[in-house]
Amino acid sequence: MTAERTADFDVIVVGSGPAGVSAAFPLVQAGLKVLMVDGGLENTLSPPSQPYLDARATDSDQWKWMIGRDFHSLKFADAVSPKLRAPTHSYVFERYEKTNQVVGENFVALGSLAQGGLSNAWGCGVAKLSAQELSEYPFNAGDIESSYETVTRRIGISGKATDDLTDYFGLDAWAEKPIEIDALQSALLVKYQTSRNKLLPNGFRLGRSRVAALSENKDDRKACDLSGNCLWGCDRKALYSAMDDLSALKRFSNFTHHSGIIVERISRRNEHPCIEGQDSSSGSVGAFSISGKKVLLAAGTLATTRLAMMALGINHSLKMQACPVAAFMLWRPRSLGLSRTAAFGLGQLSFALSLDGNSSQTTNAFGSLFNTTGIPVSEFAKFMPLRKSLGIQFLRSLLSSCAVGNVYLPGSYTNASLTLDAENTLRVSGVYQEGVDALMKEAQKKLRSSFLKLGAVMLPKSFTLSKPGGDLHHACSLPMRREPTIGETNADGELFGLNDVYVVDGACLTAISEKSHTLTIMANADRIGRGLLFSLDRK
Amino acid sequence: MKLLITGATGYIGKRLVQAAKSHGHQVVVATRADLDLLSPRAFVMPAGIDALFHLAAITDAKLSNPTNEIKAASYLFTAAAQNGAKLVFVSSQAAREDAPTDYGRTKWQIEQLALSVNGCVVRPGQVYGGFESGLFGVLSTVVRKLPCYPAFLPAPKIQPIHVDDLVAALISCATTSGLESSILNAGAERPISFTSFLHAIAQHWVKRTRLPLPVPVVVIRLAIAVLGTNLSKKMGLERLTSLFDLKTMETTEDLKRLGISLRSLHSGMSRSGDSRRRNLASEGRALLHYVLGTQPDQALIRRYVRSIELLRDGLPLGISALMLKHPVLIALLDEPGRSTSERAAEFTWRLNAAMVFAEASTAGGARFLGLGNRAGFVVNAFAISRTLVMEIVWRVVRLISKPIYTPRVLRDKEIR
Repeated sequence: MTAERTADFDVIVVGSGPAGVSAAFPLVQAGLKVLMVDGGLENTLSPPSQPYLDARATDSDQWKWMIGRDFHSLKFADAVSPKLRAPTHSYVFERYEKTNQVVGENFVALGSLAQGGLSNAWGCGVAKLSAQELSEYPFNAGDIESSYETVTRRIGISGKATDDLTDYFGLDAWAEKPIEIDALQSALLVKYQTSRNKLLPNGFRLGRSRVAALSENKDDRKACDLSGNCLWGCDRKALYSAMDDLSALKRFSNFTHHSGIIVERISRRNEHPCIEGQDSSSGSVGAFSISGKKVLLAAGTLATTRLAMMALGINHSLKMQACPVAAFMLWRPRSLGLSRTAAFGLGQLSFALSLDGNSSQTTNAFGSLFNTTGIPVSEFAKFMPLRKSLGIQFLRSLLSSCAVGNVYLPGSYTNASLTLDAENTLRVSGVYQEGVDALMKEAQKKLRSSFLKLGAVMLPKSFTLSKPGGDLHHACSLPMRREPTIGETNADGELFGLNDVYVVDGACLTAISEKSHTLTIMANADRIGRGLLFSLDRK
Repeated sequence: MKLLITGATGYIGKRLVQAAKSHGHQVVVATRADLDLLSPRAFVMPAGIDALFHLAAITDAKLSNPTNEIKAASYLFTAAAQNGAKLVFVSSQAAREDAPTDYGRTKWQIEQLALSVNGCVVRPGQVYGGFESGLFGVLSTVVRKLPCYPAFLPAPKIQPIHVDDLVAALISCATTSGLESSILNAGAERPISFTSFLHAIAQHWVKRTRLPLPVPVVVIRLAIAVLGTNLSKKMGLERLTSLFDLKTMETTEDLKRLGISLRSLHSGMSRSGDSRRRNLASEGRALLHYVLGTQPDQALIRRYVRSIELLRDGLPLGISALMLKHPVLIALLDEPGRSTSERAAEFTWRLNAAMVFAEASTAGGARFLGLGNRAGFVVNAFAISRTLVMEIVWRVVRLISKPIYTPRVLRDKEIR
């Protein structure tokens, strides 16, 4: 009888993305018996191994990774981002919505069944939430500080610089030097340093981006060599992916990784929570049921929320946050005629912008600038108000003097809601709040004038607002609260009404600011993992 | 590779032999003397075989002998395993442990044998195209000879696959690693009704007008019950129950693993010599030439044609001969801005596709990125001004020609 009452594992972690691995580390290091399960999709198409421009000039098979043998990039011609069209990333986004029964209604609803989750295709932006941004959270800022440090040191970040964003990112104590900047953005930064006094009153601050990409070799990962393949995937592993952490975890004998598993529901057996679903890892599909003293949900905000709603029988809709995002294009006339050189393809410069909106309260916006070389020219040509053959020639001459930018608003500006229908399908819908249009207009105006002072023109009509959910920062659907109620979690991440089941991914964040939120998910998962050590000890 | 093929004279077998040879493989054919499904005995494997394709099956219901057919397969598979040859077994969508027919149950049993020796099992949907043979031959004959074709109610759903696509899948089984011990479903991702399949045979293959004749499935089932198993087997009615009881296969993932994409039913049903494909290739050549500014590679044109067949309706847009001959004139069709009609939207989709194909090539590297071109402020400033002037010129030309000429491609409601 006693044997029956013991759980199969101390802790089960559902999902091997950034949240899952971050929660697992403290538990595994403490010697607990941990099982991690994931959807098990793996990359079948390698990113280019030679520098981007060399590959473009000489690789006669380049269409295989740019378009895909099954014409992947054409099938996804309407997707919100070029990344969703890259055949080398198709496995990251594949089948998530169908398998997890998630449907987006006028809302971009995505997740990942891949080992390592969405981090296989992320933008690598990192930032720490300030004490003020954490004020809504049910714990003290100090409680998560050491977790930020642990995670940051583990994944390796770069971009350390003494600039106007040092405090905004708050990570320089643990960051390495920045990756080499390209000529255009370097010129913008130099100009900013001499004219910042004119820009600061405008609420505009510029600095190097802090990113989870290596400027120094780290273990078996190599530093960025500016090969320019960021959009397609880095074969040097300079960009952080939770896959790197997963292989580190696998070296522990008390860690079990079971890939190719779809968790369909959370149940309870002999007082322990239990994951149930389908195991397709060995070719044939079979049902499974595994119990743990604790179950940690890190399946991605949407899948995690669905599992929680089903287990708790929540039939009202839950709120979710997502950051409104817009993109724009800058042209620096003095750079016209630069020859194409491959460069780091993720954020090089970032900016923080304060907006007044209609209210008395300031709203912050955040964004980054990107080099255009690694992005297919077709991505721009299809939007040009020119005939295609002319547009291509126009861009051939122009793009090397351009940079792409994006700008985010805080997650509370999207009213998204999650509803479970009678077939247990999670319906995701959402609209931007009314104020967003005005705020984005203001952002556009301020960015235009700020960058003009730096010698760059915002190209007319280039500023475009994305469809709700297009940021993929889905979060805060099961928020942590000091006094949680149904559909919320407590400060330890434990789901109200479902003992021993914890939420460790984006779903449990209390609020997301305009900053990149992945690092906060990871730090919070680490914090919850450490907290669990105590409660498991007590038992 | 050296390949051994059983059932090489059958519908799929013949095409497989042709394709394997044209891929440079060495083909050995197992004759009835080597392998008799009706009187099985130990199989002697020729030397140096890398892969065995087992296609032979008893298709004549009157000769049906599951025990011997399974035994013969077992001898064959043992010989393959002992000689370290890869095994590819062509099963059927009807294969199921509890299938309603001997045929389906036998296929399932043999599948188990194949899997037990790490073989690769392919379950094709409804095979068609190429030449009239096998079940496709029977259906074509029926449609050709009778004024009507049966429209079963409720209509069974089938997942067609062109015989050459299936053959490509089979060869991929032998040449791709990691497909051992798996069952791979090969057929259209989206099932279509058996009725529309017969309709496609009538329209595109036989090229005759044929009317559907509703036949309730209950009537056939009743007939089988009345006639008894033996008699209905002889009349071929029993095989129909396989069709009525087909379960839809998930094929998307397996086609991906096999690395093949299926041609559309429309394109598969057209016999070679059909002008459709040639016209589509001319369209691709012109669009690619227009965006590249130079004659495109054959490989680019092939990719374009394949993508239109796979992702669109596979039909040429009907761009005028003058424009096909002088691709620069396509600028008259290529108007920036939102497309106002369905046909214009389709044209834009295809032009964007041509642009994407053109870019993802070494020629595209030069054309789109200016690799190897002269850099410098003046050169590029001039190039930019030139494109803007040209755009204005084209807009003026278009504006003037608009009242007197609307290109066929952009006109709606025209029958292609």
